[in-house]
Amino acid sequence: MSRFFKFLIRISSFMSKELTEILRQPRLILTLVFGPFLIMFLFGLGYPEQNRTLRTTFVAEDPSSLQGGMDLFTNSASPAIADQGVENDKDLALAKLALNQTDLVIVIPANPMETVQNNQQAQFVIYHNEVDPFQIAYIQSAAQIYVNDVNRSLLQSVTEQGQANAGTVQTSLESALEKTKTLKQAIPPGETDAAAQVNDLEKDLTTAHDQLSTFQSVGSSVLVNPFNAATTPLGNVQFTPTEFFAPAVIVLLLQHLSITFASLSIVRERRSGIIELFRVAPITAFETIIGKFLSYLLFEILLAGVITALAVWVLRVPMLGQWYDYALAVVVLLFTSLAVGFLISLISQTDTQAVQYSMLLLLASIFFSGFFLDLRLMWQPIKVLAWSLPATYGIKMLQDIMLRGASAPPLLLEGLALIGIGLFLVNWFLLRRRMEVQYS
Amino acid sequence: MKSKNKNLSGDVVEAQELTKAFGDEVAVDSLTMRVPRGTIFGFIGPSGCGKTTTIRMLTGVHKPTSGQLRVLDKNPIDFSKSDREKIGYLIQQFVLYPELTVWENLNFAASFYGVTLFRQRRLNKLLEFVELKDDKRKLAGALSGGMKRRLSLAATLVHNPELLFLDEPTAGIDPLLRRKFWDYFKELQAQGHTLFITTQYVGEAAYCDLVGVMYEGKLLMVETPEGLRRKAYGGDMVVIKTADWIKSETLRNLERLPFVRGKIRFTGDQQIEVIVDEANTAIPELVEACKGEGITVETVEQVSPPFDDVFVRLIERENSNEQIL
Repeated sequence: MSRFFKFLIRISSFMSKELTEILRQPRLILTLVFGPFLIMFLFGLGYPEQNRTLRTTFVAEDPSSLQGGMDLFTNSASPAIADQGVENDKDLALAKLALNQTDLVIVIPANPMETVQNNQQAQFVIYHNEVDPFQIAYIQSAAQIYVNDVNRSLLQSVTEQGQANAGTVQTSLESALEKTKTLKQAIPPGETDAAAQVNDLEKDLTTAHDQLSTFQSVGSSVLVNPFNAATTPLGNVQFTPTEFFAPAVIVLLLQHLSITFASLSIVRERRSGIIELFRVAPITAFETIIGKFLSYLLFEILLAGVITALAVWVLRVPMLGQWYDYALAVVVLLFTSLAVGFLISLISQTDTQAVQYSMLLLLASIFFSGFFLDLRLMWQPIKVLAWSLPATYGIKMLQDIMLRGASAPPLLLEGLALIGIGLFLVNWFLLRRRMEVQYS
Repeated sequence: MKSKNKNLSGDVVEAQELTKAFGDEVAVDSLTMRVPRGTIFGFIGPSGCGKTTTIRMLTGVHKPTSGQLRVLDKNPIDFSKSDREKIGYLIQQFVLYPELTVWENLNFAASFYGVTLFRQRRLNKLLEFVELKDDKRKLAGALSGGMKRRLSLAATLVHNPELLFLDEPTAGIDPLLRRKFWDYFKELQAQGHTLFITTQYVGEAAYCDLVGVMYEGKLLMVETPEGLRRKAYGGDMVVIKTADWIKSETLRNLERLPFVRGKIRFTGDQQIEVIVDEANTAIPELVEACKGEGITVETVEQVSPPFDDVFVRLIERENSNEQIL
C-alpha cells in the first residue's frame, strides 16, 4: 500500500470519527441548525421596523400665559412624541417619570410670546429617566425634532396670518394703483418731472402688488420649510434592522460554533489520554490536524448551508450578491475560525478552560467586530484587536455580498485566509510538540 | 489471525542501565533487561514502582535520561512509521471514544494505523477473538469495564503488531475475566507475537515465560516463574507431615543436612516446611533422615508457594539488603 494511500486512510480516521460523533447526537444537530434560525427569527420579531414612541407628559404651570392655547405644544407632528396629558404641577409630572409612568416630561415655558417679543428665546426643559447612552441620544434627537416642530408650527401660523393680512394690503395696493393711473392721466403734458415720478410710483406699486401675490400664492408650509432632504442609498435598497443584522448574526454563529467544536476536540483527547496512543502509533501531527480540520470543515459547511438557506428562503434575508462569493467567504471564515478553535484546544489544559476562552472570544467578537458598533468609530489602536478576529472580516464580507451585491473585498478575503493558514501552521507545530517524545 | 512475524529468535528489547528521572525524582533506575522474541514477559511490581515509565520509554513516549535501549533493533526515539506499525500499545486507562460504537472505535484504530480499507473480515475476527462480536453495535460508553478492556485489546491488535506492550491490561477486572485475558495472551503468543505485560497482580507471574520484578524504580531480577520462587526462598519448598511430634533436637539435626537451606519452620503441630536445593533429590534423603531420627513420615511433597508470598518475600529480602541468590 502506497504511503499516500496510507496518509489518506489515516486522515479519514479522524474525519469519520469526528463526523460520526457529531451525527450520533441528533439533538445537537437540531440545536445547531434550528437554534441560529430561531435566534434570527426572534430577533426579527423582537425589533420591528419602528422607532420607540415616548409617552410624554406636558407641564404648563401657567396655561393662561400661553397665547393660542396648548395645541401648539401638544399636537407635535413627531411620531416619537405621544401626548399623555398636561399637568400643572411639575413635581407631580416628575414623580410619574420616576415611577416610569411616563417617558418624557416637557415643561412648556411661561409667557413664551412675551419672551420672544423681548428678543429672547423661550426654553423648553425636557426631563427623562434614561441611563442608556443610546436611548439618551435618541431622546435628545426626538426633543430637537419636537422643538423644531413647535417652531415650525408657530412660524406657519404667523405666516398664514401674514398671508391673510396681505389680502387686505393687496386690495389697498390695487386701489392705490388705480388712483395712480388716474393721476397719471391728469398730469398736463410738459410736466415731465411729475409724469416721471408718477410712473416710478406706478412701477413700485405694481412690483409690490406682484410680490404680495407671490407671497399669497406660496403655501405657508413651503414658506416656512423651503428646503427638505431626501436620502437615497447608492444601491437604491433599504433594509430593516433585522435584514441589516442578519449577515453579522450568521457570521457570529458560524464563528462561535466552529471555535467551540474545535476548542473541545484536542483538549478532550489530551485529557482522555489517547494522545499517548497517537504518539506510539504511526500517525503524524499533520495527519491528525488535517483530518480534524477537514472533518469539522465539512460539517460546518453543511451547517452553514442549511442556516443560510433557512435565513434567505424562510426569513427572507436579502441576498443581492453572487452565491460563489458567499460560499468562498464562508469557507475561509470557517477555516480560520476552526484554526482559532484548535489553537484554544492546544493551549487549554481543561474542557472548562477551552469553553471559557471560546466565550471570551465570542464576547470580543460582539464588541469589536462591528457587529453593532461601527468600526469607523473605534479608536485606531483597538482596531488591531478588531482585525485579529475572524468575525470582523466575515461580517464586512457578508454585508458587502448580501446587502450591497458586491464581491468580498480581496484584501479581506486574503487577509482572513492568511490568518487561517498562519494559525494552521501554529496548530501543527503545537500538536507536533504534544505528540513527540517527552524529554522532561 | 496470524502474526506476520515468524522469526522467533533474538531479543526484541535490549535495555542497558536505562534510567529515567523527572527532575530530582528517579522513576526508573539503571534498568537492564532483555526480552526474547516470542515470549510473554511479565513486568511485575506495586503501583508507582516505574512500570508505566519503563513501558513509555520502550514505546518512545519518554526519552530515557541515560542508558542504552534497543527495541526491534532500533532506538525507540528514532522509530519510523513502519517501525511503529510493528508495535501495539495498550494504555492503562480506557482512552477510546465512548460516543462511538465498538465497531466504529475499532475501525478508527484501524484507520489511524493505516490498515487497508478491506478490513471488515479482520475486524470481525478480532471481535470474535475478544468475544465482542455480538456487541459491536453497542456504544463503547455503555460497555462494562471488562468489555472496555477487551475492546482496547482488540484495538491494539488491529494492525497485527509483532510486539505488544500491554500496560496493566487486567487491572480492575474480575478474576474470571483476568484468566480469560491470559488465555488471549497465550493465544497471541502462540501466533508469534511477543508480549510485554505489566501487572500489579503478582499471581499473574505464573502465566509468563519471564518475569521482571520492579520495586521502587529498580528491576530486582528477571527470572522464570519457578526461578522467582527459588530466588525468594533460596531453593525448593518441601512440606513434611509426620505421625509423631518433632523435637527441637530433631529439627536441628535436619537443618544440618547439606542440601537443607536455612531454618526449618513449623507450619502445624506435626508439620514442617523445609527449603532444599533440589526437591527431587532431597525428598528421599529427608525421609531417610526422619526415619533415622525415629519419626514416621505420613506425607512429603514439594509445594509451590503463591506468588503473592514470593513477591512479599523478595521485597522483604530487598528491604533487608539480604543478598538474593
